[in-house]
Amino acid sequence: MGSFKLGGMTFGSLFKKPETLLYPAQVKTPYPHQKGHIANKVDECILCGMCARVCPCHCITVDKKAHTWEIDPFSCILCGSCVRSCPTTCLLMEPASTAVAARKHVIDLVVPDKKAASEA
Amino acid sequence: MGKATIIPFGPQHPVLPEPLHLDLVVEDETVIDCIPQIGFVHRGLEKLVETRDYNQFIYVAERICGICAMGHSLGYAETVEELMGVEVPRRAEYLRVIWHELSRIHSHLLWLGLAADAFGFESMFMHCWRLRERVLDIFEKTTGGRVILSVVSVGGVVRDMDRATLTWICDVLDGIKSDYDAIVKTLLTDTSIKNRTVGVGAISREKAIELSMVGPFARASDVAYDVRMFGRGAYGDLADFQPIVDAQGDCYARVKVRCLEVVQSIEIIKELASKIPEGDIAVKVKGSPVAGAQASSVLEQPRGECYYYARGNGSKYLERMRMRTPTSQNLAGMTVALKGCDLADVNMIILTIDPCISCTER
Amino acid sequence: MEFTQGFAPLEDAQVHEEAQRRRADGWRYVQMLAVNRDEGVDVIYSYMKDGALENLVVEAVPHDGKLESISDVYLESFVCENEIHDLFGIGFSGLAIDFLGNFYRLSTEKPMTIISPEQLARREKEAKAKAAAAAKAAAQTQEQNAEDMEAKLAAMDPEKAAKVRAAMEAKAAKEKKQAEADLEAKLAGMDPEKAAKVRAAMEAKAAKAEKEVR
Repeated sequence: MGSFKLGGMTFGSLFKKPETLLYPAQVKTPYPHQKGHIANKVDECILCGMCARVCPCHCITVDKKAHTWEIDPFSCILCGSCVRSCPTTCLLMEPASTAVAARKHVIDLVVPDKKAASEA
Repeated sequence: MGKATIIPFGPQHPVLPEPLHLDLVVEDETVIDCIPQIGFVHRGLEKLVETRDYNQFIYVAERICGICAMGHSLGYAETVEELMGVEVPRRAEYLRVIWHELSRIHSHLLWLGLAADAFGFESMFMHCWRLRERVLDIFEKTTGGRVILSVVSVGGVVRDMDRATLTWICDVLDGIKSDYDAIVKTLLTDTSIKNRTVGVGAISREKAIELSMVGPFARASDVAYDVRMFGRGAYGDLADFQPIVDAQGDCYARVKVRCLEVVQSIEIIKELASKIPEGDIAVKVKGSPVAGAQASSVLEQPRGECYYYARGNGSKYLERMRMRTPTSQNLAGMTVALKGCDLADVNMIILTIDPCISCTER
Repeated sequence: MEFTQGFAPLEDAQVHEEAQRRRADGWRYVQMLAVNRDEGVDVIYSYMKDGALENLVVEAVPHDGKLESISDVYLESFVCENEIHDLFGIGFSGLAIDFLGNFYRLSTEKPMTIISPEQLARREKEAKAKAAAAAKAAAQTQEQNAEDMEAKLAAMDPEKAAKVRAAMEAKAAKEKKQAEADLEAKLAGMDPEKAAKVRAAMEAKAAKAEKEVR
């Protein structure tokens, strides 16, 4: 008897909306708080290096002298430790995931020198 | 009586994605002895505890195994909290259990799909994975990840769920349940499935206790042991918790126990979602474990009891972290269950034990 | 049922007897683990009965030492025993299923007993921190002594006090001279560029200290 019920369920699937997406053509819209990639609002960054210290995979490099903030999105595990530890809330977890790439690369951001700007 | 032949099984085998190797000593069509061998995926994750501090190691613990990710992070966090004497907020405990039970549903549905596939029941495999996808959707919406959730931290959890989300989860689970009941009814009443599982690879209650088996494998042999019944964390607030047991101890009993556990998990989540207290979701953990301090903890994972041990050395880095996973406890039981079975039943027995080799080797 | 846990010591010769006793009392074998230490390897046996989890610690089994296997009592333990043998180098006599060191396919022998560079660096740092703390404590006691001396001097009659003070000053001057001489000797050993730098730094420090005094 049970098989008929399952058969009914399977047969019913013929008329329902498909459960899957045709991936490259259709892309699932991410949920608002999904873990996609780490973004940095460089204007608010104070280069304290807290994110680099808490990162479990050492994928963030902060260079205070050169005013750069660097992240390797291909070794980042999206744990969100850096976002939680950031004192200025300049780090954000964006829902869009990092695109597939043929070659690994590093995202290098230049943080504006606030001191120099105010002096000038 | 024929001559004894050794037939190798695995490490690559269509029925099992995990690298488990068995040397089956076969006489005619009957397995008379079996020697399990693992060691193909040892990654030395326990050694990594020396290079990651106790807050960072939680992400390593999660990566021990994809299916038990939530369980490993939870067990690790509970052990470190025990080590440092941290009291976790009540709401965080509730949220942890809700996610943990969801991961049990997703693990059992995945297993059910694979089992159906091994029977040659292709459409049931599709249905099980379709339902599992809804659980993964809940994870994706509430934690941001599908399998690796990274939602537990030492001292609490990192994400909260509001009332609307909890109601939504209960609604989704209700939707899963109606489909799931139909699937389970089909599975448990189908004659061809019964022919392949009833009386196959049976283990008696005495033998199960003797071999110190854990999890659904032991519960199918009438051993009423489930770590959840100790009532630790939010499990203590459940009105009633009884481990699901079955007396037969054969493959059919193991399938049945797992099928019923999914329903039980759905009930647990619904009950906790209605009882969840308001409050903080985490406490700040400061300082580091005392040198020489040690703590242990057990947790019921989808595959059974998992044991955790931690020792501090006075710094932020732990001296030693150890997890003994349910599968390593069930390996001896597996060799005993395989003795005397038909060669064609070997994959069915192994699948109903549901070994997770990545967990075992770490 | 309540969950409780405890740690208790166990003699290395009693491992097998204890397992038999636990078995007879209806305890369930939970696990075995090893912890690497400088003095040896701690091996921990866990048993559980009615929610009571007991961890029995065999302390400091010598590296490459041997224990009696409990796999004839609890067959399950063959997994952990083989693992401990491969990762820590502790042998087990009478193993039910012995893989002879081929349980895990390892590229290095006894990987868990290797002290990683990170661990070594941390240990050194800790030792240094400890030494610094000790030095600080010593300095504090010295200061305390000086204060005590002052109090004593105040209580003494003025003439005597002046004498003692003069003696102390002389001693301090002597010590300072000695320190300077030491420094000079050290500087002489260094390459001239570095010595000049050190000297400049010392002078700057002295000037700063003087400024602060004023």
